[in-house]
Amino acid sequence: MENGKNIIVTEKLKKDYKTDGNIVHAVKNIDFTVKSGEFTAIVGPSGSGKTTFLNLISGLDTPTAGKVWLNDKQITEMNGKELSDFRRDHIGFIFQAYNLIPVLTVKENIEYIMLLQGITKEDRYNNVMNILKDIGMEGYEKRFPPKLSGGQQQRVAIARAMVSKPELILADEPTANLDQKTGAELLDMMRELNKKTGMTFLFSTHDPMVMERADRVVTLVDGQIAKDENKSRE
Amino acid sequence: MWFYIKLAWRNLFRNKRRTIIAGLAIGVGLASMMFTDSIMIGMKDSMIGSATDSFLGEAQIHRNGFRLTQEAGLTINNLEDVVASLKAEDVVENFTTRTMSFGMITSPANFSAVMLVGIDPESERFLSQIDEAIQEGSYFEEENERDIVIGSELAELLEIELGDRIVITVAQAETGDLSQEMFRISGIYHFNIKEMDVGFAFARLPKTQEMLGIGSSVHEIAIKFKDMTFALEKDSPFWERYSAFDNEALSWTEIFPALNLIFGMLGITMVILGAILFGIVAFGIINTLFMSLYERLFEFGVIRAVGTRPGGVRKIVLFEAGSLSLVSIFIGTVIGLALIFLFKKIGIDYRGIEFAGTTITEMLYPVLNIRQFVIYPLATFLFTVLVGFYPAIVASKMSISDALRKSM
Repeated sequence: MENGKNIIVTEKLKKDYKTDGNIVHAVKNIDFTVKSGEFTAIVGPSGSGKTTFLNLISGLDTPTAGKVWLNDKQITEMNGKELSDFRRDHIGFIFQAYNLIPVLTVKENIEYIMLLQGITKEDRYNNVMNILKDIGMEGYEKRFPPKLSGGQQQRVAIARAMVSKPELILADEPTANLDQKTGAELLDMMRELNKKTGMTFLFSTHDPMVMERADRVVTLVDGQIAKDENKSRE
Repeated sequence: MWFYIKLAWRNLFRNKRRTIIAGLAIGVGLASMMFTDSIMIGMKDSMIGSATDSFLGEAQIHRNGFRLTQEAGLTINNLEDVVASLKAEDVVENFTTRTMSFGMITSPANFSAVMLVGIDPESERFLSQIDEAIQEGSYFEEENERDIVIGSELAELLEIELGDRIVITVAQAETGDLSQEMFRISGIYHFNIKEMDVGFAFARLPKTQEMLGIGSSVHEIAIKFKDMTFALEKDSPFWERYSAFDNEALSWTEIFPALNLIFGMLGITMVILGAILFGIVAFGIINTLFMSLYERLFEFGVIRAVGTRPGGVRKIVLFEAGSLSLVSIFIGTVIGLALIFLFKKIGIDYRGIEFAGTTITEMLYPVLNIRQFVIYPLATFLFTVLVGFYPAIVASKMSISDALRKSM
């Protein structure tokens, strides 16, 4: 992965919603760029458009206007199938409520994306075991998510997002359901993985702990970038 | 593929109670189909049995035109050859010869029109159930040529009892002259079939032949086959062979076409019943799958977000529908088998009930048939998967961001 290259570019990105007959302008003509390897936090009050912005960047939602390039590919022109394949191969997702599939074991949850990618059973197994080691959860591969703590489930969710080595990890409020200690541990772990692998992390968060660890903090207010603060990587 | 099957199977048992209730609903529908079908086959067999075993036989030979006119002169041609040939037939188990003539039966108290049937008591035993239906007296046990056996309702109408005398008047074949003979009531039968109990009288064949002036001729040969389904083999040369010399050989399906029509109607009834049951099943499946879908909306959102194609989501829902149908088929088959075996043991008593011109004289027992355990379960499976396409398409087309937002 080439550090410093633009991995996310948005151009006049706009999203309007119709709610009870009223039009809500959730995202207003945002021009935004993220460089490869960045650890960026998008912050802002509730309703500021953070999640909508993340959904537009990942192709989970379609913009009212504007364009999104991910890794030099314009995702706003892709059809549903192409978008699915693009997300599968280039983006890892971490959600607030962990959202592991409860009927699948830890190993099965982590290998799900690799299964979609058609990776061999042996490679899947090796990758799962390696990442479980990285997140400190060796020996948990046969457990089912409901038997794990919130922190453990979020670790597995991180492993699921990272196992296929995507260029971009999108994390929507990943620490919101965790206690402070567990949240801090996980953020440190993600920071380590960011440094180790060079994967780009983009967070949507309220959490000051995320802001402390981020290279860059982008503040959204009323669907617009109010502040874009670059910090030192040291 | 295996992954989706595993996922579907485990998802199905996430909410065991709902799966069991849905499986029971679909299973009971399937069991109803299986049980109703077995009862229909049983009823069909019972009706055929009631129609053919009581008197009709599985096939009959007459002179052409006799069935329509009942003319006493229309006796079977080449009787000796026909009888000799029937004796040599491998497919024929038994046969008997009869005369049939309308006449008047008179007692000191009353009179009535009657069908006088001349029979050979020995061979008649194998073709009809008159001997088994005797209520009073006996079935031609004494060698008295003037013995006559009549139905219970006719006896009541004529106000006569066992041993009483009656007079029968018939028209002779050639001349049309009236011929009268006195008989003694030696037996009274009760068939529970009104037509038989009030309208028939049975006497020895030589006596009726003498009354009708037809020598040793007969009007009817009733036949019982070794395998009753032979009566349905209309392409067999048997029918052509015995339809020679201006005679006609007919199976019960032609003699009693109403019964065949009724079976056709029963078939249509089964189709309608099946459509209703499958309709109910369809709503059950759709409801269950949608409940499961909306309960796991966020999960489907995540599955789609991480790169599962819409087709993959359709597969997950369809495999769940398939798994649900397998559970339902298991439940339905167990319930269906239990019902069929229970009623096979105790039977259903429809005896005496007249249906489509046939009075059911035998207990009704459900009949097991391969289609109940192959066709119906297979149809349930295919139908469930087919119906599953609706929620599967809805799931694959949902907005990912909406799915992720709604359940948060």
